[in-house]
Amino acid sequence: MGIELNRRRFLSTTVSVAGLAAMGGLLSACGGGAQQKTGANSDALKAALPKYVPSSAIKADIASVAGGPDILTDPGFLTYPSNPVATVSGIPGKGGKYTAVTPLWGTIPPADNSFYQAMNQALGVTLDMKPADGNNYATIIPTMTAAKRLPDWIQLPNWWNANFNVGELAGSQLADLTPYLAGDKIEKYPNLAAIPTGAWQAGAWGDKLYGIPSFSSGFVIAGGTAYRRDLLEARGITADQVKSADDLMNLGKELTDAKGGVWAFDDVWTYMFPSWGVPLKWTVKDGKLVHKYDMPELLDALEWHHKLATAGYIHPDALAGNNADGNVRFYAGKVLIAGGGAGGWNASDHQSGTAANPNYRKGFFDFFTKDGKGEPRIEVGSSSRILSYLNSNLKPEQIEELLAVANYLAAPYGSKEYTLINFGIEGVHHTMVNGVPTATEEGKKNVQPQTFPFLASPASVISNPGADVVTNDYTAWQAANVKHLKKPVFWNMNISLPRSMATADAGQAVEDAIKDCYHGKKKVSDVKEAINTWKSSGGGDKLVQWTDENVLQKFGTGQ
Amino acid sequence: MSSVTTEQPAPKNKLSLRSRLRRDRSLLLMTVPSVALLLVFNYVPLFGLLTAFQDYNPLVGVWNSEWVGFAQFVALFDDSLFWGSLTNTLYLSFVQLILFFPIPIALALLLNSVLSERLRNLIQSIAYLPHFFSWVLAITIFQQMFGGAGLLNQFLRSNDIGIWDIMTNPDTFALLITSQAIWKEAGWSIIVFLAALAAINTDLYESSAVDGAGRWRRLWHITLPGMMGVIMLMLVLRLGNALSVGFEQFLIQRDAVGHEAADVLDTFAFYYGIATNNYSYGAAAGLFKSVISLLLIWGANKLAHAFGEDGLYRK
Repeated sequence: MGIELNRRRFLSTTVSVAGLAAMGGLLSACGGGAQQKTGANSDALKAALPKYVPSSAIKADIASVAGGPDILTDPGFLTYPSNPVATVSGIPGKGGKYTAVTPLWGTIPPADNSFYQAMNQALGVTLDMKPADGNNYATIIPTMTAAKRLPDWIQLPNWWNANFNVGELAGSQLADLTPYLAGDKIEKYPNLAAIPTGAWQAGAWGDKLYGIPSFSSGFVIAGGTAYRRDLLEARGITADQVKSADDLMNLGKELTDAKGGVWAFDDVWTYMFPSWGVPLKWTVKDGKLVHKYDMPELLDALEWHHKLATAGYIHPDALAGNNADGNVRFYAGKVLIAGGGAGGWNASDHQSGTAANPNYRKGFFDFFTKDGKGEPRIEVGSSSRILSYLNSNLKPEQIEELLAVANYLAAPYGSKEYTLINFGIEGVHHTMVNGVPTATEEGKKNVQPQTFPFLASPASVISNPGADVVTNDYTAWQAANVKHLKKPVFWNMNISLPRSMATADAGQAVEDAIKDCYHGKKKVSDVKEAINTWKSSGGGDKLVQWTDENVLQKFGTGQ
Repeated sequence: MSSVTTEQPAPKNKLSLRSRLRRDRSLLLMTVPSVALLLVFNYVPLFGLLTAFQDYNPLVGVWNSEWVGFAQFVALFDDSLFWGSLTNTLYLSFVQLILFFPIPIALALLLNSVLSERLRNLIQSIAYLPHFFSWVLAITIFQQMFGGAGLLNQFLRSNDIGIWDIMTNPDTFALLITSQAIWKEAGWSIIVFLAALAAINTDLYESSAVDGAGRWRRLWHITLPGMMGVIMLMLVLRLGNALSVGFEQFLIQRDAVGHEAADVLDTFAFYYGIATNNYSYGAAAGLFKSVISLLLIWGANKLAHAFGEDGLYRK
């Protein structure tokens, strides 16, 4: 469980536990075992990062909106391109045989099925796909790395960087891709070149490139505070009426009807705390690095959330830690406001919601500050969280062959290649229904969107065939809020901590106290006490000092 | 009622080792798979305990990880969360021992007194059933029944009686988990006691009834002494496992009551060791638990012998 994929937690995990970093030199003095890599913004890394060459192959129905350097909304598609264009000429592979391991949260397709065969034919290689259960992935990979038995191509989600020791694997078991992709060299692979530079930085360690990014985006946030738009609007409540934390608290009182089995809120901490100005993890004040645990704003945010719980506005099952049924409560209208992961506002959510209530419509509140004054600041996460790596035992020509395959897999949304990768062969794995690729029984069994796209994929788009209302609402919300998105301190930097600091970095005792507090079981003073312990005997002060000296002072903030 | 027997001591085995091996070769051969399993899955992993004295790094392996001596234990004993988890473990184990342990014995006695075999089988089957549920399912059922939005509390709310916080109250968590354990496991635990009851010579009951002993007399003088060996054995095993109160049950309900109430040694090792990649710290906590458990089982076995019972083995 603890290490299972929790999409609500992923953002804090990725940034907090951090993996390694993209930067400078090797720090041999820190920690036990092998040398550690850390760094950020080194000139060598900047030179290594691939050139960004946007693709113009397919035009989106709803264009991206820029919010600042490297920050922009995902483009929206209301229709699937009727005549998919080919972006790769010829067959990329040269007949090589490789194995690939990816996590899969779903039913594992049969081995050597018709879809894999079709893909291998199109790719020109024999790629033996071995998707593994995503729920156990964090325990499977360390056994492979300890035995030095990694496959030729492997996907390592970055929220598990620390678990997998990716910083140590980079260069020892994972291949350095810098010689093949740095700067202009990436133009040999046009679809990979269309992946924004920030995403490549998220897969860099030391000052070299290792990771191939999937699902990169300029709008990577944990999510927002979701609400039942259909039910609230029926009561005359619209999102623009909620402009501060007080407004939301008042809404809690108005909406909660415990006797009727309806509570206003589910857990919202993960998505609400930025309203108090609390960063994902670090901030810099007067040139000095400050951990969020050292910020009074964190305690203020907790005070409000503690009150929300003790006032009785949060569903009892949420307070009991039952997050697995959060969606069910939301669909059933037992909860009207809930934390909403960014990935959960999609067609699948719409289908589940409308199955429970035909009028179901989801919305996110716009970001606001706690008192409704000033500019909210929402920090973005890594530009890509899904990164694949090639085995360092591969020969240069094999690496080039697999990069050509990755280029095929990164073909843009709606292209001929994308259609095959995501929907299989028309007539076999899917048929076009009202212009939308719709899976056949064969397709449902064999075509999983978490297999090949987990090795490489184009930048994210918003597309919900059959649920245009979702695409319109979500793109509009992104466009309205992109101006609040900011890069956090150490953005896209992978930091490899000394092993002795892993416990302090995870801050498990403080995180436990925080959760108990926003569930109403502990007071803010208890959290303060836990933080004091963390700072002294828990190694928190040492962590801050080490990070300040070895990352901030050497490589800057990365912003 | 007692009879004097004149059992002769068994003659000492005069056969040589080789002869005995030859004689028992078929039996020995049959034990090989079990012994192999035991070695591979129980004894070989013991080498992993070395990591408790290292700063273990999975990438370089046990032999190449840095040795740190007792540093992990020093940190462990300086960690208030560890002592909190140990206290919780002992307290929860004590509560379970007092409230849980007698239940299967009582159930077995009651079941044994049911004369109708069909009825007895039916009750037995119903009592066994929850054992086959996972903890996730068992706790979900409790949550649906007794949770803040469960059947009981919605009924109380709708009648303006006020709610009864059962599932998220840290102060009564020990009672909650013991209730769950009784509901789930008490039925299954009666099996061994039923077997002990079946082994009691029924002639003893007939004789005592003829001598005028009532139901309680027979229970006190025949049934309980007849079960005492098994009860002591189970007690010794229970005490030996006093520090193993469970894992999933606490993991699942940790958020509901808070970590201070729900953390036991096993969840401590998971959250503060494995989950933060601090494997050696978790191994140190696990080793500490094993050593204490060994002492407990040794002490309990001594106690059983002192009471004239067999304990784990006949002295």
